[in-house]
Amino acid sequence: MTDTTLSLPEAPEPSPAMKLLRRFLGQKAFVIGTGILAVIVLLALAAPLIAPHDPYLQNLDLRTIPPVWYEKGTWAHPLGTDQLGRDYLSRVVYGARISLLIGVSVVVISGLIGTALGLAAGYFGGRVDLLVTFLVTTRLSMPVILVALAVVAMIGGSLWIVILVLGFLKWDRFAVVMRSATQQVRSLDYVAAAESAGASTTRIVLGEVLPNIAPHLIVVATLEAASAILLEAALSFLGLGVQPPLPSWGLMISEAKAYMFFSFWLIAIPGTALALLIFAINLAGDGLRDVISPEGRA
Amino acid sequence: MGFMRKAVVAGLASTALVSGVLTGVAFAGKSDNTVRFAYDQAPESADPFFNNVRIGVIIGQHVWDTLVYRDPVTNEYKGQLATAWRWIDDRTLEFDLRQGVKFHNGEEFDADDVVYTLNFVAKPENKVVTQQNVSWIEKAEKVDKYKVRVTTKQVFPAAVEYLAGPVVIHPNEYYEKVGPKGQNDKPVGSGPYKVTNYVPGKSITLEKNPDYFRDSPKPAAKIAKVEIRFIPDRQTQMAEAISSGVDLIMGVPKDQADQLKAAPHLQVVSGETMRIVFLQMNTLEGAPSPALKDERVRKAIIHAIDRPTMVKQIVGEGSRVIDTVCFPSQFGCTNDGAVKYDYNPAKAKQLLAEAGYGNGLELDIVAYRERNQTEAVIGYLRAVGIKANLRFLQYAAMRDIIRGNKAMLTHQTWGSFSVNDVSASTPVFFAAGDDDITRDPAVAELLKKGDNSVEPQMRKEAYRKALALIAEKAYAVPMYSLPSYYVAAKDLVFKAYPDELPRFWEMSWK
Repeated sequence: MTDTTLSLPEAPEPSPAMKLLRRFLGQKAFVIGTGILAVIVLLALAAPLIAPHDPYLQNLDLRTIPPVWYEKGTWAHPLGTDQLGRDYLSRVVYGARISLLIGVSVVVISGLIGTALGLAAGYFGGRVDLLVTFLVTTRLSMPVILVALAVVAMIGGSLWIVILVLGFLKWDRFAVVMRSATQQVRSLDYVAAAESAGASTTRIVLGEVLPNIAPHLIVVATLEAASAILLEAALSFLGLGVQPPLPSWGLMISEAKAYMFFSFWLIAIPGTALALLIFAINLAGDGLRDVISPEGRA
Repeated sequence: MGFMRKAVVAGLASTALVSGVLTGVAFAGKSDNTVRFAYDQAPESADPFFNNVRIGVIIGQHVWDTLVYRDPVTNEYKGQLATAWRWIDDRTLEFDLRQGVKFHNGEEFDADDVVYTLNFVAKPENKVVTQQNVSWIEKAEKVDKYKVRVTTKQVFPAAVEYLAGPVVIHPNEYYEKVGPKGQNDKPVGSGPYKVTNYVPGKSITLEKNPDYFRDSPKPAAKIAKVEIRFIPDRQTQMAEAISSGVDLIMGVPKDQADQLKAAPHLQVVSGETMRIVFLQMNTLEGAPSPALKDERVRKAIIHAIDRPTMVKQIVGEGSRVIDTVCFPSQFGCTNDGAVKYDYNPAKAKQLLAEAGYGNGLELDIVAYRERNQTEAVIGYLRAVGIKANLRFLQYAAMRDIIRGNKAMLTHQTWGSFSVNDVSASTPVFFAAGDDDITRDPAVAELLKKGDNSVEPQMRKEAYRKALALIAEKAYAVPMYSLPSYYVAAKDLVFKAYPDELPRFWEMSWK
């Protein structure tokens, strides 16, 4: 890495990939955001190696031990234990898995739905566009939290239900952005060229249009992932999201609510983790947008 | 830590104080002889027959009177609206009524009030919410102005206990005129306190009834006014207690009560209640988890849970482990002859392996209160290879699941409406009623025999056999009795009773 950067100034013309990388590295927000995000992802992936204890293992004799920096803290439980004597560090680390899983799965589901609709609307226009616009308007008129609450209350909460509900509710921004991006690309020469060369619609859409609007897709995806993670935390806090004993951060905050007067770290630790993750995703997303489409800056 | 805690309490108290001042809450109940009490649920109606929450029972016992009064210390029956009673035959109780008692609206108490009330609540079409408290009544008849006879549908020796508890007497002329809705809008009883202000869902104010009859076993009240506010959020209640916005809260979770002990102006009192906790296991045909049909699985579940540690660490002082599904002081409740299952995770695993679930078993558990205790149970089950998924619901929703044969494990609690007789607890869940999800005919028959026999010894024997059979077949996990923690202003004199009924007529200031 050091060698490449050193040799770069001597190169007459850096390759496009190098240019892009430099632009990314020039974005402090992006570097910090991605850095934090990478750490959290690593923690989540390596949870079984990092977590000192089984996150589900309860010991009622060791309840609400404070974190190690308190007088009564112990290195056996660096972040203390919760109200059932489960190791808090292990639960926070495993909680990252749940949050990331939800963020990624929701984005995949809603991204697929939203992108398909947006592409169709932007490419075909006319009646298809009218129909998609109508669907988006309908969807926007439904408050996400309320619908999610109703569905979860009716069929019961579980990790996969939360993912599905959020996935089917959060495609609107994908659809809107993809629609306008496709409309722009649609009228460009290379699409016309592909059309006159006799390429099939599928080929044009997937081969010409999609790659050129992908940067927008990535930006929307990061923002939506952050919002999905927050929504899951909110639902779990209300007792209608992920169900115990799964270590979801929102659920941990909810369970710690009863202890906030006297053991505030129980609420502060998962709260900080959640805030940090959202912060990192948003920073990375913003940086990404600045690099890919600086014209989109507010 | 000591310093930390004090600092935290002081900080909390000051913030809560500020908010208290801002919302105009008056301080110190002693100066105006008013007890401010907060409770987390609001009754759907103030009429005791049309709600089934604890606060309804509390209001009921203060605003109304019953025919008989059970002394909570000696468990002895004393005459309240009745002065004497006797069984005329197996199914007929005769009461001599007290003379000179007046309802809050001036209406005189006599046989007509008793006859009207009992006949009204006994009629299913009047849709009394607490059916199990009144369904035993066949009819009430007036003998003369101060004498009535009550007939039970079947032989029902526990009748006096019910008439000493949930079955209050309404003023007949008023009730006939306004009905249950009117009794909710403007409640009228004969009790030691009368309702002077009631905002449904928000608060109810009781003031001392100056004309309360002297000979009542409820002693003349010293506290002039009781302000009951319905505050659903536990943290708000605690903040109010810390800032002296309320003088009494009850049902405070153990951990929070332990912490509030640090506040110098508060006292924390705990006591056992009649509320028992147990897990039901659905063994009915078509139940969603056939595994529970296997006795070995059910036994494994009992062996997996460390009840003594739960009691010590998360349930709290005043609680005790039970081995049968009833409260120990209830007539007929015994663990004599019932199999005791110790905490033995190794044995639990072995039993599961024998039953063919050595590689794990997944179950749902429904629950509606004391969620931390349910989660502890889930943790213990997980340790022996049973993955239990929590479905935490409102009581009504959980009851529908149970009655609809969709439950697997249930985390049940039952307070028996403070009735000190097994007929109010075990048969509700094991005598083939709506909430029975094991439906063993032998158990049901024994329980019914206990409910409907006259001879006390015969009743006891029938209940003993039924309870032993439930334990032997491991139809349920009897867990423990629940304590109730009260947090009160330090200068309030009060006593905690197992029936979870704070008696404001007994309270005073230091």
